[in-house]
Amino acid sequence: MRLFFNAAVVTALLYAWCAPAAWSHEGHDHESPPPGAGVSSLPRAEATSQDFELVAVARDGKLTIYLDRFGTNEPVINAAIEVDAPDGQATARLVGDVYEVEAAWTVRPGNNDLLFTITTPDGADVLSTTLVIGAAARSAATETSAGSASTGLRGRLTSGGYGVFGIAALGFLLGILVMALATGRRRLVAVTSVAVVGLAVLYGGQAWAHEGEDHGDAPVSSQARVTRDVAQRLPDRSIFVPKTAQRLLVIRTEIVAPTRHARSLELPGRIIPDPNASGYVQAAVSGRLSQPPGGFPRLGVSVQQGDILAYVTPPLTSAESSDQRQRQGELDQQISIVERRLARYEKLAPSGAVARVQVDETRSELEGLRDRRTALDRSRRQPEALVAPVSGVVAAVNAIAGQIAETNALVFQIIDPHRLWVEALSFEALNGVTDASLKPGGAKSYELEFKGSGLSDKMQSLPVHFAVSNDATGLRVGQLVTVFVQTSETTTGIALPRSSVVTGANGQSTVYEHTQAERFEPREVRVMPLDAERVLIAAGLDPGRRIVTQGAELLNQVR
Amino acid sequence: MKSVALCCALLLAFAAPVLAHETKGPNGGAMVDAGAFHVELTVKDQVIDVFVTDASEKPVTIGGAKGTAILIVGGKPMRITLVAASGNRLSGTATAPLPTAPKGAVQIQLPNGTSLQGKFH
Repeated sequence: MRLFFNAAVVTALLYAWCAPAAWSHEGHDHESPPPGAGVSSLPRAEATSQDFELVAVARDGKLTIYLDRFGTNEPVINAAIEVDAPDGQATARLVGDVYEVEAAWTVRPGNNDLLFTITTPDGADVLSTTLVIGAAARSAATETSAGSASTGLRGRLTSGGYGVFGIAALGFLLGILVMALATGRRRLVAVTSVAVVGLAVLYGGQAWAHEGEDHGDAPVSSQARVTRDVAQRLPDRSIFVPKTAQRLLVIRTEIVAPTRHARSLELPGRIIPDPNASGYVQAAVSGRLSQPPGGFPRLGVSVQQGDILAYVTPPLTSAESSDQRQRQGELDQQISIVERRLARYEKLAPSGAVARVQVDETRSELEGLRDRRTALDRSRRQPEALVAPVSGVVAAVNAIAGQIAETNALVFQIIDPHRLWVEALSFEALNGVTDASLKPGGAKSYELEFKGSGLSDKMQSLPVHFAVSNDATGLRVGQLVTVFVQTSETTTGIALPRSSVVTGANGQSTVYEHTQAERFEPREVRVMPLDAERVLIAAGLDPGRRIVTQGAELLNQVR
Repeated sequence: MKSVALCCALLLAFAAPVLAHETKGPNGGAMVDAGAFHVELTVKDQVIDVFVTDASEKPVTIGGAKGTAILIVGGKPMRITLVAASGNRLSGTATAPLPTAPKGAVQIQLPNGTSLQGKFH
């Protein structure tokens, strides 16, 4: 029996949970609130013209006026605004970035026609709108409790009245009936069946009678649902963003229009040093490294072409040193023989016994032998100097004093950080590159100059070289980047900044359209690469719309 | 000829609320929606006339109505007070010559307390 009870209770709870939404809620569905209304407690009106977008909000007997540029959504703070209100004419004063005007009439319910005369240094405009102050709106404004609690089960139980309990009881009985059927207890089946039918008839009448009331309550409850002026996502996926929030999030828009753009390609690339402005310092002979007078240059130190960065002293092997000693002895011996011969010749020369020529030849032979002897001494002591082949910054150091460097070992790498190239890989031959750029993550984008493309495959694609033509600060050698290349082929379409395209909840690329002064609607679009800064909207957007170009990511976070 | 004009007027009468744009009114001026009414504005030198008709283009008697027209003249707003003249016409005089199709707005208070306003692009 306990099993019966448990099953019945679970069914009853399930029914009670689903019932109000499925049955008694029916009246709300066709109550779609008008734009701007039902989302905010504060009475507000909006007006637009070709140049301006104006939102007036009534708050504490004052009218706050937000004036923005229609196309860009930039606040206008250099305007003079005259307001023609039911009480007469008044001039609005600038407070921060909004305009305020005293408006005692905002506390009385009614429809108020308003005229705003806007004078700016570059022209004037007149905007007209109607501000509706409703009794419901005023009562909602004074209420502080949020209506969201009524969406829970507790709220449903209290707001639904005993109808919900009736449905719960029906569920309870149905649970017992099912269990009884499953276990084959016929008497219980009969009793519960009667009770279920009885309750269903009773509740059916109630449900019909109840429906009429919902119509009357709907506007008040929708007003009371939200009592604060906050950004929020509406049930139709559009976003209500009050002007205060738009100013905080710095939302900017752009009126889109199709233009011609060069076709763009995205290539994977890698930053490399300019081969004419970078160099390797390698040891030509194997030997022991030793530091120059100032020590080895550290990483990041700038060096000039010709600076000595290190010395390599080739070590003498035992075979070499014995060979050298033997050569030295031979030379010493020959020198002493030739010296003695020269002395003898010089004595005999005046008498004519030895020709003058012979004396001179012997003297030069002696000089040659002495030169060879000193060269032999020097070669034993003189180390090889490693000099910087170009001016630049030391990018890699592999030198430790006393280390034996192998032949061809890379001891230093020198790079000019202002002259960097990009080696990109293209799967097709690039013809007529007009413009190229790259944007590695951050905000800065770099202009590239096409240098040339290879003809032989490298990893099944062609290497293409670009030089970074503006300031290359922030890039590092070896960094993997995406290069945006514009070719001479053109396409027509709407170009938008990359920051305006966000990923929607369903993963699709989405842009936000500014449909009303305080409402933004998501538009799913198909995008194609254009360049580092912009994308091309291939489908999903009509020209002439106002699309958010700045702050779209923040709008996307609004729940 | 008369039937053609009538057809045109009828067409305009139906087109105006649908498009909610400026159309040409029966007195030759620009006509716009103003709540449940239509407002037509004609300009002759410095004199402006505003005609009020209802949604079906029937003249509305507006004895005792008053209003304001704010028109943009040479990049500056100009405020013109309107007073009821005759039948459905309000009239006002500007301090400077006006363009033939001015941009601006008209606000009218009817004697029964309702107010209406129309915007001219």
